[in-house]
Amino acid sequence: MKSTERSDTNRSGGARTEVPLRMLADVPLEEEVILVRIDVAGEDVEPLLERGIVPGCKLCPVRHAPAGGPTVYRVDGALVALRRETASCLCVRSALEAAGVLDSN
Amino acid sequence: MNPATPSATLAAGPAGEVAANGGHPLVALVGPPNSGKSTLFNNLTGLRQRVANYPGVTVERRSGVVESAAGPVEVIDLPGVHGLSPRSLDQMVTRNALLGELEGDRRPDAVVVVLDATRLRSHLMVAEPVLGLGLPTLVVLTMADELDRRDGALRSARLSGELGVEVALVNARDGATLQPVRRFLAALHTGGEEVRACPIVIAADHHGGHASGRPLPVIDIFAARRERARELGRSAGFRAPRPSRSTNRLDALALHRIWGPLIFAGVVTVVFQAIFAWAVPLMDGTEAAIAASGEYLAGVLPDGWFRSMLIDGVWAGVGSVMVFLPQILILFFFIAILEDSGYMARAAVIADRLMHRVGLQGRSFLPLLSAYACAVPAIMSARTVEDDRDRIATIFIAPFMTCSARLPVYALLIAAFVPAGPLLGPFLGRQAAVLIGLYGLGLVAALLTAALLKRTLLRGRALPFVMELPPYRWPSARSIGVRLLDRTKIFVRRAGKIILAVTVVLWVLTQFPRMPGGGAPEIGDSALGRIGQVVEPAIEPLGFDWRIGIGLVTSLAAREVIVGTLGTIYGVEAQDGEDLELRAALQRDLDFGAAVALLVFFVFALQCMSTVAVMRRETGGWRWPILQFGYMLALAYAGAWAANALL
Repeated sequence: MKSTERSDTNRSGGARTEVPLRMLADVPLEEEVILVRIDVAGEDVEPLLERGIVPGCKLCPVRHAPAGGPTVYRVDGALVALRRETASCLCVRSALEAAGVLDSN
Repeated sequence: MNPATPSATLAAGPAGEVAANGGHPLVALVGPPNSGKSTLFNNLTGLRQRVANYPGVTVERRSGVVESAAGPVEVIDLPGVHGLSPRSLDQMVTRNALLGELEGDRRPDAVVVVLDATRLRSHLMVAEPVLGLGLPTLVVLTMADELDRRDGALRSARLSGELGVEVALVNARDGATLQPVRRFLAALHTGGEEVRACPIVIAADHHGGHASGRPLPVIDIFAARRERARELGRSAGFRAPRPSRSTNRLDALALHRIWGPLIFAGVVTVVFQAIFAWAVPLMDGTEAAIAASGEYLAGVLPDGWFRSMLIDGVWAGVGSVMVFLPQILILFFFIAILEDSGYMARAAVIADRLMHRVGLQGRSFLPLLSAYACAVPAIMSARTVEDDRDRIATIFIAPFMTCSARLPVYALLIAAFVPAGPLLGPFLGRQAAVLIGLYGLGLVAALLTAALLKRTLLRGRALPFVMELPPYRWPSARSIGVRLLDRTKIFVRRAGKIILAVTVVLWVLTQFPRMPGGGAPEIGDSALGRIGQVVEPAIEPLGFDWRIGIGLVTSLAAREVIVGTLGTIYGVEAQDGEDLELRAALQRDLDFGAAVALLVFFVFALQCMSTVAVMRRETGGWRWPILQFGYMLALAYAGAWAANALL
């Protein structure tokens, strides 16, 4: 699939891809992004994957919990809370730019 | 297990299997947490439910019999799971149950896969490995009302066509929408065409990702699953619902910078207030009922050893535990409301920050809160903590939380040794302050222990913390009622087994060796008294004599037993004024330092055989319970020694 190819290119040549990549933890509230890659080792990714946080899915931060607690994201119609340290392992790109890339294909 | 042979399973036919088993057809309900699975189960089975534990594991097996149009069907509600990989205990049990590899259970004849229609795409990903098992399947999509209200759309007939199995779009709370489910259950008897397995053979990646011996990276498996789920959604005309406005508004409050923590503190306060203040009249009532029934029995039965054992042993012992039932039910009433309404997940998010600091996580909050009533259900509920290290740490510290069994002991000693009177005007009395101090001491010990464990024995990379926040919903009275009934059954069974055995043994030990005339011996000369004298040298540094020693030995079974034991030892009859006499006797035998030492001992020590037993089952061996018991005993002994020496 397209998304897999893209994430592969990103893996090999991070800085030179057309779409700028960011970490989910740095995305401001209400900006929709697309998950490109999960930088979590081995089987530890399963809790994320099982809840629909799979490369290609759309994520949108909607709310920060008080006092530096987890952030709530909208994923595929559901709400999921992630700690900052987990969100810092999720590599994303803007949903708007991604849509543009898909259109040009 | 090879799921690539659905037709073989079908060819055997559900009817054939049923005949072979000689019982009702067995149907398993499978689905992710918060999918409405248990609501569906409760609605189908009503009160004809059985809760038991799977042999060897403490995962509850909930089953019930549904009278379908064609005959009875046994339905079993498997734990809510996000997948079938044997990563957590729940997932392992669900997987083994579906494969028929669970001790004492046969393979289900069919599965009902329960998914949330508003989350069709991610939930279809969970369904895929279950469909791949090749069992006759009904896919139930719940929350039809919610999907509709939030402008979502779905054509279930098309989805059915794509999957090759029956699909029913329902509202799990509304019995009228459950007709297709009942038809499916009836068809298991008649062999109707509704009973079909998914003909699409999906890669055998449902446990671990080993397709034809070649391990696939787990991300790729899920990416492929997600693509298939999206494709299915597209074919079925699925339009995702817009985000729920009410949930959004409530979250703005529940997770607000200032209101969030305040609401959280308010909820915790109300739960505590309910357990410790509102439960009192109910507990007094229970106590009076037990006492009255005991007196009645004592009047009816002929004098003799049997009456003595029944009244002084069984009634007093089991009664002392049954008194806690109202308190435990009130706690579970609140837990049920908090969980069913969706607030519990928010509370976990708020608590995560604090928990994270001691190396735990937000999910540990619920077990630790439950532990204030009783460590046994708390340890079981720790199953929701996915990270195994965090789960063990949570289980390990749960018994430090002041459970309700400590309360009678605290109440007795505080009343005897702390003079009543105000400390902070009308707001806080001296006795209440000591009680709060004891709670605080337990909590501090728990948090420090967690921090210590996570830096030593349980050190390791943390799993990513993912907490799903279900939409807010009104809790249904029916589901809460069913859960409270479950709890009552489980609690009474426990009181009936362990406490009954202990009290009978204790009673026997007070009766022997017999006096020359054949009567019961003085307590000091009885077998129990001798045990107390054997342990006396060990507890002398703490300021305790052999009487307290006996109390400590018997309280190993359950903490509150010490109150009844001391009552027996001091020779007071279980009648009015018992507390006063017991209090006076304690004031005579313990100095202030020893009384504080005894309180500290009870804060720390793991005097509860049920906790040890549950701990062994939940951790799969003796290692953790032995460590826990030794650690808590050492802490209790050191703390009590220090208190006695300093005061």
